[in-house]
Amino acid sequence: MAYVRVDSAVKYFAREAGDDMLVLGKVSFDAKENGMTCLLGPSGCGKSTLLNVISGLEALDQGRVEIVSHQSDGSHVPRIGYVFQDPRLLNWKRVEGNMTFALKGMRVPESQWEGRIREYLTLVDLIEFRQQYPLYLSGGMRQRVGLARALVIEPEVLLMDEPFSKLDQLTARKLREDTLSICARLKQTTLLVTHDVEEGALMGDRIIVFSARPARVIEIIDNPLDPSQRDLDDHGFIEFKKKLLKLVLQTAS
Amino acid sequence: MSLKVLTWQEASAAALWLAAVAGVFCLDLQLPDPARAALWVVLAVGLPIVLRRFWSWLLGPLFVYDLVRTARRNRLIPVRLLYALLMLLIISVTYSRWFGFNWSDGGQFFEPPVILGLTMPGLIWAVLMIMFFGLNETSAYAAVAITIMPMLAISIWQGTKSIDKDLVDMSKIFHASPWSKVIDVILPQLISHILAAIRYGLGLAWKVVVVVEMFGLSNGVGYQVVRGFNVFSMKAVLAWAISFLVVMIIIEFGIIGWLERAVTRWRPRVEAWRR
Repeated sequence: MAYVRVDSAVKYFAREAGDDMLVLGKVSFDAKENGMTCLLGPSGCGKSTLLNVISGLEALDQGRVEIVSHQSDGSHVPRIGYVFQDPRLLNWKRVEGNMTFALKGMRVPESQWEGRIREYLTLVDLIEFRQQYPLYLSGGMRQRVGLARALVIEPEVLLMDEPFSKLDQLTARKLREDTLSICARLKQTTLLVTHDVEEGALMGDRIIVFSARPARVIEIIDNPLDPSQRDLDDHGFIEFKKKLLKLVLQTAS
Repeated sequence: MSLKVLTWQEASAAALWLAAVAGVFCLDLQLPDPARAALWVVLAVGLPIVLRRFWSWLLGPLFVYDLVRTARRNRLIPVRLLYALLMLLIISVTYSRWFGFNWSDGGQFFEPPVILGLTMPGLIWAVLMIMFFGLNETSAYAAVAITIMPMLAISIWQGTKSIDKDLVDMSKIFHASPWSKVIDVILPQLISHILAAIRYGLGLAWKVVVVVEMFGLSNGVGYQVVRGFNVFSMKAVLAWAISFLVVMIIIEFGIIGWLERAVTRWRPRVEAWRR
């Protein structure tokens, strides 16, 4: 398994006018090892940028991101799975073709492909759709394919960028519960970006609350409730949610 | 073979039939069912009449010979098209620093020659090439290549503008190889633009070849049309025009249509606007 540490991350966006815009203002935190860390903050605060930095898509101006895998000697680059806000599937490839694309990219030996595709498509409950093209699936199912594609490479770190925000409420709720149980079973270090307080309280073992842009860490809270105890109607859960909401509302004002 | 001038009845029947063919194949999707059915009836009734009128031209050995000549001049074109497409892709991709997506720079680089090329009529290229290379096949090939290049360039260039950056980011996350990025991510997004380019390119190529044949060669459909005109036989001219249509229909609905269906199977069919 792997741990993720972000250490005084500073990031500017270049603007045409010449004055650079500060997006990340000295962000530091440790992600919960083998658990789910929620990055919670108002829309547009720079959470997604942070995720892009962790995934290696964008570079930091100052500070650093450490991703260390315990399995290996450090020469090995940790495998990172990414679930996007839009599924970002290759619509011209069948569901299994999208899995294969990720497996091929991550240099997974071809002998393991079939077994893994079967395993992870079963996990997200899409095994009978493996021959289907994505555009023939519903939005929720496409997002599941995106999740399966991230999981099929057996990532040490799983990144999720508001994966439920474009789904309708019922689908999102179901998928949230499924993702929670899948992640509890697989136990990768997971980072989930969200602006939804309830989602943060439900999913996160640790919740990092961010300010509005430039993103600064306001508070790091460990969820007092065990994943199995988190029930939307439970009194303890509602109290925790209220506490979180208060924090987020403070940052927004 | 009679060289008598076509009667007006024959001419109007042929014109009606041609209009019906055009209607069925070009407007098919937008028409309500009864109109489409009526067009098919005209087409079906007209076909034997037209065939009987023109059979000596259509089935005579001369026709086959000339059609084959024209087709043979076009034989290399699909290969050339693909080659040109490939070159364009490589040039534009390299130029934009390997998926750096500064396609606007590419635009500045490509635009002046492309616009100039589009403005120049194919006819002028045909004449120029005959003057350069003389009365031979090379001038036909050269005229075709020069005429369709700017059009290809502009369609591919437009296509590269519509490439989804999010998908390219996704392929980076999963460490896709450069080869896989091109084959699995970039090309499928360009395919409809490439197909459109092949379509227009092919149509344009035929026209240019016919013009070259009219001016400079002593065989092929273009030559036969001029010959028909010289003996003032509308029958002959129309017969050759129809032969042309038939070949284009075969290419369009047979080959390219099949290709398009094959590469766009992943896209659900849009049926809503048919009714």
